[in-house]
Amino acid sequence: MKIFSGKKPAIFQRAEFLSARDMLQRAAAISVMFLLAHLAGFREYTGILNGTIGSLALGWNLSAFLAVIYIVFYLAFVILTPVLVLAAMMLMCWQHFRRNKGSCPGK
Amino acid sequence: MKLRMKRIFAGLAALAVAALIWLPCLHFFFSRPVSNFRQAQGLSPKAREFAARHLQLWTDPALRDAELKKMRVSNAEWDFMGRSYLVWSLANMSLRDPASKPLYLRTMDQIIDETLQLEKQEGMYFFLMPYAKDRPYLAQPAHSLFLDGEITLMLASRRMVEEKTEYKPLLTERVNAIVGRFQKSPKLLLESYPDECWMFDHCVALDAIKMADCLDGSDHSELIRDWIAMAKQKLVDPKTGILISSFEADGTPMAGPEGSSIWMVAHSLQLLDEDFARDQYQRARKELGAVTLGFGYAHEWPETWKGEANIDSGPIIPVFDISAGSSGMAFIGASSFGDDKYLTSLAATLDFAGFPSRTGGRLKYCASNQVGDAALLYAATLGPLWEKVKTGARP
Repeated sequence: MKIFSGKKPAIFQRAEFLSARDMLQRAAAISVMFLLAHLAGFREYTGILNGTIGSLALGWNLSAFLAVIYIVFYLAFVILTPVLVLAAMMLMCWQHFRRNKGSCPGK
Repeated sequence: MKLRMKRIFAGLAALAVAALIWLPCLHFFFSRPVSNFRQAQGLSPKAREFAARHLQLWTDPALRDAELKKMRVSNAEWDFMGRSYLVWSLANMSLRDPASKPLYLRTMDQIIDETLQLEKQEGMYFFLMPYAKDRPYLAQPAHSLFLDGEITLMLASRRMVEEKTEYKPLLTERVNAIVGRFQKSPKLLLESYPDECWMFDHCVALDAIKMADCLDGSDHSELIRDWIAMAKQKLVDPKTGILISSFEADGTPMAGPEGSSIWMVAHSLQLLDEDFARDQYQRARKELGAVTLGFGYAHEWPETWKGEANIDSGPIIPVFDISAGSSGMAFIGASSFGDDKYLTSLAATLDFAGFPSRTGGRLKYCASNQVGDAALLYAATLGPLWEKVKTGARP
């Protein structure tokens, strides 16, 4: 699979649903979102998990909201992203194998 | 259309296979050898990082104030228990790391003095939840075994490390007061809140009395023996054999066996009745401990008991029934009884879902709070203090 073409990086082009490129795009999007939440310091609000307010200034609701955003993207980054990347690699290998098999003389 | 369906099916199959490969491997990225959390001798790397953070809190009043305020919004008890666990940790750390003993002792004294001052100035309700004022204590004058037991154990722990003459009369006074109230109580049960008694508080108070016996040559072994016999007979959940966590002053059960209580109770019992302690740990481990895909955690209640999430259990994570409170306290149980396999899996979960934050060699878990981290520090350092009491060694 060609990730980067001449004009526009293929990774940014619309991909077919559940194709290898689609999975890599989703994995990249999750990673970027998690990175942004992490850099924004949302990790500090996850104390809500044990019933402690993340910030007295922001209050319960906003603290909880930021904590939920962080937790969702963290779990997606740690659990979903590797699964998407692994699945994309498997599909690419499978497609590569099939192409080679199809172009093999005598088949 | 057929081609599209084929592609989607292939994608889903690839995702399923990838998940089957990744999920069982995930814990390897968070698992560390048990020595990273707790060591037989000296301090583990994690204990040092935790300690650095806590010592910073007690040298930076603004930082401490901010942390304590956040906890007090939810529960004033956490402010108090964070102090207790830190003092007990520092006592163990002093015995593990004699070179740093002067710093640890200074911090212990600072915490104890400030806590006693606050108790004197603000009254006992300062460290209790608001419902303590809803009705009068049955036994008058009002005392909370929660406060008395933990303060007594703080004073005794400090003196076990190194004698401090100013604390000797304070310890004797507290011990005598608690023992006096036990003697007046027909059921040997003392309130922490009005008509509300806690197993945790009784065990901690009895540990403090045992430690005072070791320090000052008094003998309350009969009281301890009678209390343990009573607890075995009247305060055990018949279905699981686990000690219940709370009861009324006449012994009527309030809550059943709870993870947020039993792990520390089993640890406390090690000083009072070693065999009973191990029995309780093993029962708790069987009924409440769990490991899934290499990640350890604990339930708040056994399957046979239905309870609602509360301030002690913390929010319960559905499907797996994970209690933050019980899982945190499970570290103390696993560490006390040398259950390294479970401790390693708990530590993996902590690093996976506790959101560690490291700055300049200091560690805190964002999903935890000061009291949670102090309890973890205690789990990482416990041992030498109990050992010193058991061998009868004096400072």
